[in-house]
Amino acid sequence: MSVGVLLITHSGIGSALVAVANRLLNPLPLRTEALEVPFDADPDALLPLASAALRRVDDGDGVLVLTDLYGASPSNLAARVSRLGTPVRRVSALNLPMLLRVMNYSELELDQLPAIAAAGARNGVILDDA
Amino acid sequence: MIERDLTVSNRLGLHARATAKLVQVLSAFRSNATLTAKGREVNAKSIMGVMLLAAGQGTHVKLRVEGEDETNAADAVIALFDRRFDEDS
Repeated sequence: MSVGVLLITHSGIGSALVAVANRLLNPLPLRTEALEVPFDADPDALLPLASAALRRVDDGDGVLVLTDLYGASPSNLAARVSRLGTPVRRVSALNLPMLLRVMNYSELELDQLPAIAAAGARNGVILDDA
Repeated sequence: MIERDLTVSNRLGLHARATAKLVQVLSAFRSNATLTAKGREVNAKSIMGVMLLAAGQGTHVKLRVEGEDETNAADAVIALFDRRFDEDS
């Protein structure tokens, strides 16, 4: 039993993050996919794609949906996807520390992962003037 | 509790891939583990924690492991350091 992870982002972001995470933690402990939303995309046309991706990563324990920018089209799409029936929790401001930390807590349940993700993203910000 | 002094000897130091490997090795054990270097002690089971050490080649680190399987966990970490994180081959 494990949670699925779906990244819904602007072009060029989600797949790049998944590729790096894959190099660092091979194999990724959670089923993970990235869906990138082109700038001129029709949101209605993307919903079936997002729904299909959601079902591919869902193992029956729900899906953690990570978006890059709250309020932007990808995160609005994520909000619609989460109303389709599959248990979904959403977290925005996706970054690499967030993704790695989620993978590091792969044994947790869906309801515990948003806080894990948020702490990963926050703690990844370091004012590097040492 | 087990304490060991280790040296980061691979060329790239505790960079992202080496750190991820260390954390993955430790995740198989229940014990808590920390690494201390340059006056900073971090959770050795956290990728960002270990990355915070910014430990390059030649850095001396102190490993501390505490828990029911501490012997095996410490051995696994020591072996990984000895193997230079499977790099430099």
